[in-house]
Amino acid sequence: MNEEPLLEQLIEALRCLPGVGPKSAQRMAFHVLERDRDSARHLSTVLSKACDVIGHCADCRNFTELERCRICASASRDSSQLCVVESPSDVIAIERATGYRGKYFVLLGRLSPIDGIGPAELGLDQLKARLAEGEVSELIIATNPTVEGEATAYYLQEMASQQEIPVTRIAHGVPLGGELEYIDQSTLAMAFSSRQSLSR
Amino acid sequence: MRILEEPAFVLHARAFRETSLLLELLTREHGRIGAVARGARSAKSRWRNRLQPFRPLLVGWNQRGELGTLTGAEEVATLPPLKGEALMCGLYVNELLIRFLHRSDPHPGVFSAYQALVGSLSAGEQIQPLLRVFERDLLQDVGLGLQLDHEAGGERDLDPATHYEYLPESGAVPRDNQADSAHPLVSGEALIALRTGQINDSQQRELKLLMRRLIRYHLGDKPLASHDLFR
Ligand SMILES: [Zn+2]
Repeated sequence: MNEEPLLEQLIEALRCLPGVGPKSAQRMAFHVLERDRDSARHLSTVLSKACDVIGHCADCRNFTELERCRICASASRDSSQLCVVESPSDVIAIERATGYRGKYFVLLGRLSPIDGIGPAELGLDQLKARLAEGEVSELIIATNPTVEGEATAYYLQEMASQQEIPVTRIAHGVPLGGELEYIDQSTLAMAFSSRQSLSR
Repeated sequence: MRILEEPAFVLHARAFRETSLLLELLTREHGRIGAVARGARSAKSRWRNRLQPFRPLLVGWNQRGELGTLTGAEEVATLPPLKGEALMCGLYVNELLIRFLHRSDPHPGVFSAYQALVGSLSAGEQIQPLLRVFERDLLQDVGLGLQLDHEAGGERDLDPATHYEYLPESGAVPRDNQADSAHPLVSGEALIALRTGQINDSQQRELKLLMRRLIRYHLGDKPLASHDLFR
């Protein structure tokens, strides 16, 4: 019989975090019990509140505790450009790295029929309706250059061209500071096939 | 069991634990296998970009029990990446293989056919006729082959001018009218074209419907998810 059911439950519960195996979960549990009960109480309050309050933006599907996220609600963002990304972390990455002033649509995944993820799971009906409203004049596809990301890009491209909305795709290829000889064959092949003209 | 440098393709990869991938591989000598690529999703993994579908690989793995552990993966050649419709068809074929092949059940013929198909898809050849022939051969290889040599019952050759109701368990039954059949009729001419692999444009549609129906029949309750992507 288990003498310490709560302790066991705590260790087991911590394992839901990414990268946390049984050993780390045990270490975390002992750490908070031995010396950081206040922080742990705070974590538990915030965690529970976040789970209750944070939902998805009605326009872009990104996480927000409001009806619409900060970007969608902002009057200074350009509604004519819509950038489609796979995950909320992609939004953060683009916001940090670029001066993009348009809006986003977050798929929260990518097409993967074998895993049961189809157009409906990615909110593509909602995106289609958004495109039909006529405000978007450029759909920027920023899915990952994986096979499933490419399939998703193709699907989006078909959808936008049915509504005659211009589509662009972010470029992929040689990383800055990289050297051609060390780049894997497929990346180099992709970079080569999507080369750009420099003549005026 | 330790396997080295086996020709293979990734059929499907899904995230496994924090940094690993769980792969479904189609290998030449060992059929479909499941293998874990440890750490393949971490930023510094040498496998990070390589373990993608439609790339001819040489792989090594250790097999103990149901799942293998990947020990090596080298890219044999770089094919132009599949694009657009070819990519969607490729994903469809991968799902087909995962559904029809059991793990560790060797089908070297299927591997060769798949290798050729990926080459053709990558080269942008006309896709639909190639898919029909691949489906025909796959069903044949797993013991669910179509009867295309003669009519159901085996007494008469298929007649190009006759229309048939194709029944999965018995074969092509001649029908005078569509009203006599529970399924869309298919012409003898199209069935003969499927047998010879010389499929022309006017036969595409009826053969596509036929193969779709037979595949659905053999897969039972759980239809192929990628059929939804093709509308
Ligand atoms: Zn939003």
